[in-house]
Amino acid sequence: MTFLGPILMVGFYASAIYIATKGSDDKRIKNVYVSQMIPIINDTLLSNSIGNNPTKTKHIETESGLLNTRLLLAPSNKDSAIEHVKQGTVDGWINIGDCDFSTIDSTNYYTLQTPSMIEMDILNKWVQNRAIQNAYSKLGLRESQIDSLKSKGSIITKELSKDGNISDSSSDLKSGIGFGLAFLVYIFIFIYGSMVMRSAMEEKTNRIVEIIVSSVKPFHLMMGKILGVAAVGLTQFIAWIVLAIALLSGISYFGFGQQKIEPLTTSNMPGTMGNTLSAQQFESMQSTVDAHSLMALLGNLPYFQILAIFLLFFIGGYLLYSSFFAAIGAAVNESSDVQQFMFPISLPLVFGFIIAQSVALKSPHGTLAKIFSMFPLTSPVVMVVRAPFGVPLSEIVLSASILFASFFLMVWVSGRIYRIGILSYGKKPTWKDLWKWIR
Amino acid sequence: MPNVIETSSVFKAYGEQIVSNNISLGVAEGTIYGLLGPNGAGKTTLIRMLATITQPDRGEIRFMGELLREKHSQKMGYMPEERGLYKKMTVADQLLFFAELRGFSKKDARTSVKKWLQRLDMMEWAKKKIEEISKGMAQKVQFVSCVLHNPQLLILDEPFSGFDPVNADLIKDLILEQRNQGHSIIFSTHRMDNVESLCDQLSIIHNGEKVLDGTISEIRRRHFKGVFELGYHNPVFFPPRLIQTSQMRETNDGKYTYTIQTDSAFTPQDLLQEGMKAGELIHFSELIPSIHDIFVETVAGSKLESEKLGSIHPSKLLAS
Repeated sequence: MTFLGPILMVGFYASAIYIATKGSDDKRIKNVYVSQMIPIINDTLLSNSIGNNPTKTKHIETESGLLNTRLLLAPSNKDSAIEHVKQGTVDGWINIGDCDFSTIDSTNYYTLQTPSMIEMDILNKWVQNRAIQNAYSKLGLRESQIDSLKSKGSIITKELSKDGNISDSSSDLKSGIGFGLAFLVYIFIFIYGSMVMRSAMEEKTNRIVEIIVSSVKPFHLMMGKILGVAAVGLTQFIAWIVLAIALLSGISYFGFGQQKIEPLTTSNMPGTMGNTLSAQQFESMQSTVDAHSLMALLGNLPYFQILAIFLLFFIGGYLLYSSFFAAIGAAVNESSDVQQFMFPISLPLVFGFIIAQSVALKSPHGTLAKIFSMFPLTSPVVMVVRAPFGVPLSEIVLSASILFASFFLMVWVSGRIYRIGILSYGKKPTWKDLWKWIR
Repeated sequence: MPNVIETSSVFKAYGEQIVSNNISLGVAEGTIYGLLGPNGAGKTTLIRMLATITQPDRGEIRFMGELLREKHSQKMGYMPEERGLYKKMTVADQLLFFAELRGFSKKDARTSVKKWLQRLDMMEWAKKKIEEISKGMAQKVQFVSCVLHNPQLLILDEPFSGFDPVNADLIKDLILEQRNQGHSIIFSTHRMDNVESLCDQLSIIHNGEKVLDGTISEIRRRHFKGVFELGYHNPVFFPPRLIQTSQMRETNDGKYTYTIQTDSAFTPQDLLQEGMKAGELIHFSELIPSIHDIFVETVAGSKLESEKLGSIHPSKLLAS
């Protein structure tokens, strides 16, 4: 499991993200009426057949091809169009009120079921596009001219370093990597933390602890547990990093062309987890970063710094949280009592993760990011998100010092809870009991 | 004989509750010491202090004359009352772990584990996980885990609870064998079954206090209340002036047995003479109370059974 675990994890999340992004397995073609409008240029799509005979159709072209929609020309009679929607003959009716199509303000979409955000967005874009094309053609532009107006490019960030080097950079990629790493920290603090907790609980319920404690100080036992599991964690990570490097070099050796490198980007993309990251944004990330420039961008990342921050804050965060977990494991008598203590302790970590999402997208160098990358309970997650964007060394040192200082404080507190809790059986301890044990 | 472990005025309280009130006792080398007491008397607390798991609030504990410190636990074997082992670990790994925990080198640990597993015919189980073996087997492993480092002092909390009679006897033999090798054993129990046959010395703990201690014969002698048993082929009469109470019982082999509480002025000699005058005496013995009776008397505060002969249960008197 040591080596297989991480691969399974990645596979799990990659497939979850894949399903979420590619996901709507809704193969059904949606039929949507579009009301008549005066000249729609380039319109092979809408037939002239007016009435209840939806024969000639065309799919809406979308960049992602997410929607499977057939556009039909709506009957001229408004009532019968609405009646068709009601009866389910068609799924919806885009009623473009302004026949001139100079504005789309008065466009409505009639439907029985409110479509998803993404679907709505695509419909919206399509209508907007049509309106623009309409406007162009009014100006007398030909189709090919209109096409040439569409810009294909996007802005490429060039990052300047203090010593004058210029390198390509991608905010999308950095957000993705930062967020991916933060996610790892978040997940693994929970996984390894509860490993520590379960181990403490097992020894307590088995009473083995009495035998051990007669040879070893409870504090040493606790520290041994925490450090032992940390070693397991690091071994896993190192195995993983080696694996990743091997994979990457394998990929670059065999080389590949213009196709998108999905496995790599998806594994770092937060997709499902992020409620602030919509599939659209995800898509845009993917589309701007194609394999061609991706390798170059990847080459430009401050790997050493990212890895160093990741390991430092992962270890610090794990140590801090696992000392909480160890104390809980020692305090409770059975696993059903765990919840009461787990909840408040995992809150800050979850909070940090939510902060990390907005930090990754909005302002990796903002005040919010700075504050929460200093606060020890959230810094392991938030600092790691910031890592790819480049964090000043002074901030890293300060934050890491705070983190490790609070670990030493917490481990002392937890040690006191552990010392008494591990030999206390019977009733479920309360917060008050724990406080008494600490004092 | 020097004491292997010795406590003097050991005091411990949890909050308001005093669980160990100035207890002093000593376990001599090569002896078995029994800690008797009802549930909740403070036996486990005392035992945990001996095993260096907790420390007394006041008073001191000495091991081989030195103030008890953690390092001494290397020379102790400890078996807690409620037992458990790592379920996912194999028998051999588990035992190796405990041996090393007690300061054995890897090599010594291996030798010792092998020796013990062979002794108990458990070699074939060495590679099995604890969850795969029977409960009785696991209990044996547990016992081995606390003796395999050859400890000078064995501390056993309720060692017989949870064992079936066969395994209990096995453990009993192992304990005796440990003593015969010159090791000392202190164990707690609230059951009397094995106490008299096993203990060289004992004390009774009640409500955190030591209410009684000594060797078995000492304690029993001390609690002798002048009760004798006389047996005849036929019913007889005793002169009432000499005898406080008596009770007659006809045994199924046709004998008549009288249990007699004598006046303190009476010597056994006097009673024997009176008894011979009364009839054809075929049986004469003093009734020394059993540890069980003494325990019940001390703990429950009940009168020694022999003082209210009316309600005496014959088996209890005969048991002594």
